[in-house]
Amino acid sequence: MIEVNDVTKQYGDTVAVDHLSFAVKPGIVTGFLGPNGAGKTTTMRMILGLDTPSSGQVTVNGRSYRDIPAPMHEVGALLDAKAAYGGHTAQQHLRWIARAGGIPEKRVGDVLDIVGLADVAGRRVGGFSLGMYQRLGIAVALLGDPRILIFDEPVNGLDPEGIRWIRSFLQQLAADGRTILLSSHLMSEMEETADHIIVIGRGRLIADESIAAFTQRSRSSHVRVVSPRAADLAPLLERAGAIVTRAEGALSVTGMEAPQIGNLAAANGIEVHELATRRASLEAAFMELTESSLQYQADAKKIAAVA
Amino acid sequence: MTTATIPSTTPLAGAATTPPASFWNTLGAEWSKVATLRSTYLTLGLGLFLSVATTAVASVAMGATNTAWPEEFDPILFSMVGNVFALIVYSVFGVLAVSREYSSGTIRLTLIATPARHKVLFAKLLLVTLTILAFGMLTTIAMFLVGQALLGAYGFPTTTLAETDAQWVVLGLGATMPFFSIIGLALGVLLRSTAGGITTVLGLLWLPQIFGEFMPAWGQEHIISLFPGSALDSMTLGQMMSAPPYSAPPLAALLAATWLFAIVGAAYVAFQRRDA
Repeated sequence: MIEVNDVTKQYGDTVAVDHLSFAVKPGIVTGFLGPNGAGKTTTMRMILGLDTPSSGQVTVNGRSYRDIPAPMHEVGALLDAKAAYGGHTAQQHLRWIARAGGIPEKRVGDVLDIVGLADVAGRRVGGFSLGMYQRLGIAVALLGDPRILIFDEPVNGLDPEGIRWIRSFLQQLAADGRTILLSSHLMSEMEETADHIIVIGRGRLIADESIAAFTQRSRSSHVRVVSPRAADLAPLLERAGAIVTRAEGALSVTGMEAPQIGNLAAANGIEVHELATRRASLEAAFMELTESSLQYQADAKKIAAVA
Repeated sequence: MTTATIPSTTPLAGAATTPPASFWNTLGAEWSKVATLRSTYLTLGLGLFLSVATTAVASVAMGATNTAWPEEFDPILFSMVGNVFALIVYSVFGVLAVSREYSSGTIRLTLIATPARHKVLFAKLLLVTLTILAFGMLTTIAMFLVGQALLGAYGFPTTTLAETDAQWVVLGLGATMPFFSIIGLALGVLLRSTAGGITTVLGLLWLPQIFGEFMPAWGQEHIISLFPGSALDSMTLGQMMSAPPYSAPPLAALLAATWLFAIVGAAYVAFQRRDA
């Protein structure tokens, strides 16, 4: 269990994380979303004891990371896959980290097998492709066989084959019952992998809920209603509190679920030919909800004003 | 590379049953890290080679161009002429022990694996001190032996390590070699940059001497002698010479220790507190 409790992180005048609170629940994959510069990496670095919060606490299993006696056995992390000495072989790289964590050397061979790098164990990492670096970074995270895994943008810059590999790999790790916190600025990543999402923008919490609940909150989630008596139905719905938009022979209704709309129509003897719930894609919901928090919005406006 | 399946892990290692990583784990990790890097051997080898080669070339040049030796000629001090290169290269070694971690980003892996940062710093200090102590001794003894052999071949007066003056200078310079490597390491921690660390450590090493050249004797005696380079020399070369920048050995030892504790102390505090 990772708990972030009212955490603020300031670098000089810049507030990277602003009174952020959330808990990463055990045994599921939690997606950590936000535009670039939202504070995801800073938050992860605070979880791992690399950065100290300006105020608030971050705990892992009830303790601050720096107080965990054998941290690699509790938490595994992939922050920057390319952090390695180019002159080390994959095996040498894993060996020194294993030694630091008090992990038997035998485990190095095991994790190389697990991530599919056994064939290149003796090759210098300086010549690795990005995909191989990502696998190596995941091998590092798995060294202590931890129950909690933290991955920062693991698919960033990968080709489709690499993305597919990481995705299926994460699903296997999750099936093992591990707790996974996975950050991304790409919503599409989360639709298939995450059970729960935490969305932040400008360092503040925007959402902490299931994917279904998140998409439902979006304005672009609506119920499409087709009726020959749309003109009669619309005022009824509006009076009941729904927001109705008329579009090409159909009504687009938000603020009311399909069953209520159907009941209301039936109670007034209005025929309905189509009644369909349209969920916003995660992508659309994300764009809409983070719009206001985009770091560079001001700049975008300036550019628009010039153009 | 094919997608390997994750072998269903043996009941996941319960963190509670795992012994905490010890200082020996940290020291072992630091050792595996540097002992497997080619640059470690290149740097150490370069320090040894440059200093011994300089002494050898200087000795041959001295022997070949002088039929009689200058009146003040001292075979011990003369054979230490290459020491300047050992100081430079081994100080750089100290800086690199830390700055390389920042430039490669591995500092974060190091601190994720060992969040008790004092362990990381002490392991690095111990490793650099012992390595440079060994190489420092090796370097000064090699310079001395090569220097005496070559000077002797040209009929110059020579001496042996059985002589007390030779022991003070040769073993003293070797034993104090880690001093600037440790300062370099601490500056690497403070500045987190290879270029910055090297510039600062070499500046601290040479600038006082360079400015000292332009100073009256008073300035040399009261200002330049306070700097670590002079303090260090006072304990070794000062045994044989009594030029202005040298202090009495006990005072010099105190000065050197003060410099060391101040800079290492600052590095310790910064390393504990700063974001990595």
